[in-house]
Amino acid sequence: MIVAKQKPIAELKEMVRPYQKLLVLGCGTCVKTCFAGGEDEVATLASALRLAFGQEGKSIKTEELTVERQCEDAFIQEAAQAVNRNEAVLSLACGAGVQAIARRFGKAVILPGVNTTFIGVLEKPGLFTEECAGCGDCELDTFGGICPVTRCSKRLMNGPCGGSKNGKCEVSPDIECAWQLIIDRLTALGQLDNLKRYIPAKDWRSSLSGGPRRLIREDHVI
Amino acid sequence: MNAFDQGVFSTSADVGGALLQSIKLPCSAMVRDIFLLRAFEAGADGVVVIGCPQGKCQRIDGNIRAGKRVAWVQKLLSEIGLDGRRLVFAGSDTVDLAIANLLKDMMLLGLSPVKKETGISK
Repeated sequence: MIVAKQKPIAELKEMVRPYQKLLVLGCGTCVKTCFAGGEDEVATLASALRLAFGQEGKSIKTEELTVERQCEDAFIQEAAQAVNRNEAVLSLACGAGVQAIARRFGKAVILPGVNTTFIGVLEKPGLFTEECAGCGDCELDTFGGICPVTRCSKRLMNGPCGGSKNGKCEVSPDIECAWQLIIDRLTALGQLDNLKRYIPAKDWRSSLSGGPRRLIREDHVI
Repeated sequence: MNAFDQGVFSTSADVGGALLQSIKLPCSAMVRDIFLLRAFEAGADGVVVIGCPQGKCQRIDGNIRAGKRVAWVQKLLSEIGLDGRRLVFAGSDTVDLAIANLLKDMMLLGLSPVKKETGISK
């Protein structure tokens, strides 16, 4: 899932200050799972903003709505009337959702309420970790399901580096050496010989570094 | 039920000159962030969340979860500018002391600067 973190209240307060009527729009998928922008977070943030402005004697009218996914037009349409009756929309969706809303409602002011961070998983209650950088050329089959692009601080395709020590990365003792994990996993799978294959330098053109990307499924184009 | 079984609190009471209103939940872990914020929106100067005594949660770790949630909202209140000391968590065995300390803090912090609820629509 996409993992995001809500922006600090101080930043959000200044962002919405010019507006009297604000729609706080949540998303019921990724950001709900990481406690950044689901229905509960919408209610809490709307209340927090009312309290924050209330101290100044300023009244802000907030409306709260959460749609299933802000990245899909079929769901975004449900918010049309709410968007129209407010001066601005504080979207708690990831960057994709914020932009989808902005595209759909071209004349509305759409503001981002979260900082979208990474594609990750819930490793344990309360802990989300980055797992995928969307490089566009997945080689997890070679590396036993552990990604050197996201998990290795140096993005090495031929690690470990000389800084790997006791299974920890030299960048921080809190970071496990991805290459130690890869070697351990491949050993357990009996696939350590994978690392004898020639692994060329990563071609980053399929990643964000190659420019904006598109995916077209011809069989779904009408 | 839970710590409220003792019937220590009535629905509202005058405590040390302050009006105390209580809301019962099946477990302190049922308290949600929005409940706490809405209490302040409704005009509360301070809020106490009371759970089972430490180590004696009837639902294993409900009071731990409640304590963490309260800490989260305390931080949020401070970011808003309301001062997190207006919100406390206490076990039912220390609630009298918690309320007494909260009232002392209220004397220092003063009444909540927030006016009553302003426009909400859903």
